[in-house]
Amino acid sequence: MRLACVYVPQLALQAALRRTPEARDEPAGLLEVDGAGKKPRVTQLEARARRAGVRPGMTAAQARAVSASIRLYTATAADREAGVAALADVGYTFAPRVDSSDGGERVFFDCADLGQLYPYGETAIAQAVQAHAARLGLGARVAIASSKGIARVATRAHELAVVPAGAAGARGFLAPLPVEQLTDDATLRAAFRRWGTRTAGAIAALPVDAVALRLGPRGADVARLACGKDDEPFVPRLPPDALEEAVDLDYPVYEIEPLTFVLRGLVDRALARLAGRSLACAGMTLRLSLDPRGLDVRTVPLAAPTRDAKTLLELVRLDLARRPPDAAVVGARIIVEPARVRATQLDMLRPAGPAPDRLATTLARLAALVGPENVGAPATVDSWREQAVAVTPYIPPAAPPGGALAATVAAPAMRLTVRRKRPPEEIEVIMGRDGPTALRGSETTARVLVTAGPYRLSGEWWQPPATASAAATASADPNSDAPGGWAHEYWDVHASDGAVYRLHRDARDGRFYLDGYYD
Amino acid sequence: MSRAAAIAHIPELAARLVSLERLEESRGRRTTGVAALDELLAGGWPRAALSEITGRRSTGRTAIVLATLARAIAAGEATALVDASGGGGGSLDARAAAAAGLALPALLWIRCAPAQALKAADLVVGAGGFGVVALDLCDSDARRRIADAAWVRLRHGARNQGTTVLVATSARTLGTAAAAALELGDGVPTFLTDGPPLFAGVKSRAARVRGGSRDESAREEAPCVSLAFTCRS
Repeated sequence: MRLACVYVPQLALQAALRRTPEARDEPAGLLEVDGAGKKPRVTQLEARARRAGVRPGMTAAQARAVSASIRLYTATAADREAGVAALADVGYTFAPRVDSSDGGERVFFDCADLGQLYPYGETAIAQAVQAHAARLGLGARVAIASSKGIARVATRAHELAVVPAGAAGARGFLAPLPVEQLTDDATLRAAFRRWGTRTAGAIAALPVDAVALRLGPRGADVARLACGKDDEPFVPRLPPDALEEAVDLDYPVYEIEPLTFVLRGLVDRALARLAGRSLACAGMTLRLSLDPRGLDVRTVPLAAPTRDAKTLLELVRLDLARRPPDAAVVGARIIVEPARVRATQLDMLRPAGPAPDRLATTLARLAALVGPENVGAPATVDSWREQAVAVTPYIPPAAPPGGALAATVAAPAMRLTVRRKRPPEEIEVIMGRDGPTALRGSETTARVLVTAGPYRLSGEWWQPPATASAAATASADPNSDAPGGWAHEYWDVHASDGAVYRLHRDARDGRFYLDGYYD
Repeated sequence: MSRAAAIAHIPELAARLVSLERLEESRGRRTTGVAALDELLAGGWPRAALSEITGRRSTGRTAIVLATLARAIAAGEATALVDASGGGGGSLDARAAAAAGLALPALLWIRCAPAQALKAADLVVGAGGFGVVALDLCDSDARRRIADAAWVRLRHGARNQGTTVLVATSARTLGTAAAAALELGDGVPTFLTDGPPLFAGVKSRAARVRGGSRDESAREEAPCVSLAFTCRS
């Protein structure tokens, strides 16, 4: 087995820097408070800031006195969480299972099979991993070795390292490394220093049994590691079902536009992580922390998986405009549901349909424009109500059966359909002995020349009585699909304006409604 | 493979070959689904262009639009209907459309307000890969507010993507942006009168007011056709 280890030094600082990618080229440091009531002090430093003379332990004022251009950040829990998740996603980009048991700052994954994709060797794999981490805003060190422990040591020592396979090769690689890079245990380091062993090679020369006798099992582990032998188990895990990005704001945001600006960063970062795994966003949940307390959770429906940030943001913006948060927002978290973009095989004898990813993006944009409930494929409903219709997910048509071509397809019937008014429009009707004799609505006023009907339809009398709220809805719109019985008398009337209308009288209250006209 | 075995595969191969009609169709015209209209339009609706179908209520505009969509779906093409009628809830009668031969799951149905219709059509056409996009503005007065430049932009999109955009309205709207225009009129409803009156269908006339064959003599011969629509199976 060959394991790749991705290590992000100063993960908290890098996680905070992901928020402001434009400041990545400037000296930066991380401020943290060591205890209540104490001043925040610099704990992590980017290399440029260190070269400028800033040191850990300085206060913000001291750091700025040394380097005027330094940018000082504070990393929130949300930043750290998102940084750890982004690092795990670097692994999931290259492998289906990842071991991230090293406190979040390192991930390990099996890269033995990546040789098929990267024929130029393991160095190319390590470079690709490092480049992808950089795309996600993480400056990573990458090492490839035969075990976790050796790969871990290699990332401490080098930006990019490939440790030869086999114990002898690993021993040779580790031999020149100082003891400090072999273990984090200060007691063991001090003991080895007392013995005069300064490098891994010197420790490897010691008998493991003797080291175990003097330093215990942890000392023996270090000695075995120095010899290129490591039996630390690799415990890979599947990726989480959802992908999260979060931000805590420095001050409350009251308006939708600035909030959308904040959300753009989250969406961009989430989509970049999804793109690395060749996935798209199939659904998004937005959790807004409100000021001073409270949570606003909303689900943004998507008609189809998409990776288009503009579309997602438009959907979010529309949802926020439709139902603004009850209070100012002090934090935001997006939970993205990953899904595979549908792949299709083109058919030589079939017209090329829309490309799946473009179709998904278009459906999402249409949903943002007209509402997700108005985009899809029409479907009939198991109901006696004439106007009943449902919208289901749209599926592009499959190839015609048996290689049938346009020329062989039977001509569809020249059949009139009723152009429905949804909901039906209440109209005035003058009734004669044989039915309606005149009608007046918002768009037409006409005499009735010929009447066919009435056709009596009723249904759903078996349904339980409507609740108070449903009854209120039903009274506002008697033709709604609110539960409860209904009874209609339908007529087809040829009016003097030339049209053939379909209208009905509600048997409950005697009112007339225009269902539409034949066309 | 032996000669006999090869001969046995001929029907299968023939079924997989592209017919001459299909090749011809792919070049410039798409069938309307109504033989008489295909003849009137010299082969059908022009591909990669805008077409217009106008007429008063109950003249069969919707029936022709659905027939075109049904035919395209049956041929394996992606289709969309931008429905700006019916008070925003869409005017499509799903049951009747299914009875008319339309495969509902394969139709992208977009219900929208009239003001959003052109934007929605633009998005669908721009996605590419759609054979037919129908824009239903029959009961909307939005057509009066749509600028000519918008139609020209939609025409460019249709041309680039090879999509037939069919616009159904109550009066001529597209002007010169339409490559073909069909006007339906003289709708006469028919009722069965054996017993109590029963609505049976509509007879109307379709006239080609734009597009069609370049052959003047052919145009003189077939300026309009009679159509009969039924509402019962």
